[in-house]
Amino acid sequence: MKGFTGFARIPKWTVVLLSSAVLIGIWWIASFFVSDIILPPPGRVLSDFTQFLAQRSFWLSLQATFFRGIESFLISLIIGTAVGIASGSIAAVEALFRPLLSVIKATPVLAVILLAFIWFQTGTVPIFAAVLMAFPVVTQNVMIGVKEIPKELVEMGKVYRFSPKQQFFHITLPSITPFLISGGRSALGLTWKVVVAAEVLTVPRHGIGSGLQFAQINLETSRVLAWTLTAILLSALSELLFDLLSRLIQPYKRKRGAHGS
Amino acid sequence: MEVKRLYKHFDSPAGALEVFRDFSLKLPDKKISVILGPSGCGKTTLLNIAAGFIPPDAGGIKQVPRRLSYLFQEPRLLPWRTVARNISIVIERHIPDKQKRSEAVSRYLELVGLDSFGGHYPHELSGGMRQRASIARAFACPSEMLLMDEPFQALDLDLRLSLVGTFTRLWEEEPKTTVFVTHDIQEALMIADVITVLSRRPAQVLDSFTVDIPRSERSLDDPALTSVEQQVVSLLLKRE
Repeated sequence: MKGFTGFARIPKWTVVLLSSAVLIGIWWIASFFVSDIILPPPGRVLSDFTQFLAQRSFWLSLQATFFRGIESFLISLIIGTAVGIASGSIAAVEALFRPLLSVIKATPVLAVILLAFIWFQTGTVPIFAAVLMAFPVVTQNVMIGVKEIPKELVEMGKVYRFSPKQQFFHITLPSITPFLISGGRSALGLTWKVVVAAEVLTVPRHGIGSGLQFAQINLETSRVLAWTLTAILLSALSELLFDLLSRLIQPYKRKRGAHGS
Repeated sequence: MEVKRLYKHFDSPAGALEVFRDFSLKLPDKKISVILGPSGCGKTTLLNIAAGFIPPDAGGIKQVPRRLSYLFQEPRLLPWRTVARNISIVIERHIPDKQKRSEAVSRYLELVGLDSFGGHYPHELSGGMRQRASIARAFACPSEMLLMDEPFQALDLDLRLSLVGTFTRLWEEEPKTTVFVTHDIQEALMIADVITVLSRRPAQVLDSFTVDIPRSERSLDDPALTSVEQQVVSLLLKRE
């Protein structure tokens, strides 16, 4: 136990840094034993990535993927919130959507992308697939949030004759905000993955996925990894923005049962 | 407020729980009526039927005004709004003018001794201060009737007394028909104009007492109050 508490005392970021360094170290050592096509060294990937930064086509790809992702995410958020609120408040609506949501959850992402490719034009496929995969995540979270709106506050709103608008903005929305944020965060992470995967299959003119696809065809493994790094950074950056946003819109520290005693 | 031939039961795993069977009660306007009874006799249920949270099985409660205030056992403030905002929300429709509204909010916050806490969130306040804020909200709302469900019970004795003091001061300034349910006899004696004692389930009125001493002159060792207290205690004990 003593050793364990000693370990726990090391600052968290040191551990994160250390484990990252170990992973990169393993990668670097492993790259000595195989050809660059199988596993290029980390330095090569980094230099490829920095070369990217000087290329106009890279920025166009990044921009294209970024806007596809944001568009998909916003659509997922709107559909997911609407369906989530409706299913959380009305049992019949929940029953209506349950089969659809279960089917979507069980469907392989690639099946959705391939079907979408049959039905739609290239540009629509990543957005359609991402929305279809991500909105149920938002729905699920919002639905739980709606079911957990404190009954005490709803009664209070009834006594003081809150208008439907007051009820929504002062009770419903703030109650579900934490659920909306956690659902939104998962949905956004999923969105980036699906968008990039759909780009790999449909190869639009610009996109991180298109870049991945070209690099793979040409067996430029270090470029495949550099594009992957781009996708990871995009996802991490959006995660960071999400944290910032959630702190901005919830200035109160929402403690458990703060409406109670 | 008049309760007329009220019936109400709840279904529980142990069978039907009969709370009210042919229960009738008339309470005076512009007075504080305390309904005193053992725990679980249906006091809260009575308030919840009056507020329209739950429907009665039969009969009902008449002359309940449209505009109500309710002091719950817990403060029930919106945790995501500041104390001042919590109060201003309930008077938004009554005082559309923003300037006048914020003046009203400040006035009520001052009356409950929270003048400098309007900008705080509820979790930053102590339990007693949160309940003060809820009292300010109840009086700020221009309601014609006030329902109270043991709002002082969760607090320490000294805090409770000071809150009872704040409450009665506010009430004397703006008297409104008040129904206060509690199982605390001393609280009842300090606050009530009329005390109605209920029996165990299904609740029946055992007796009622009028307290004529002005609230500001009451003290618990006053012989007139101790005599009422003794009668109430013996009523409740007889039924145990």
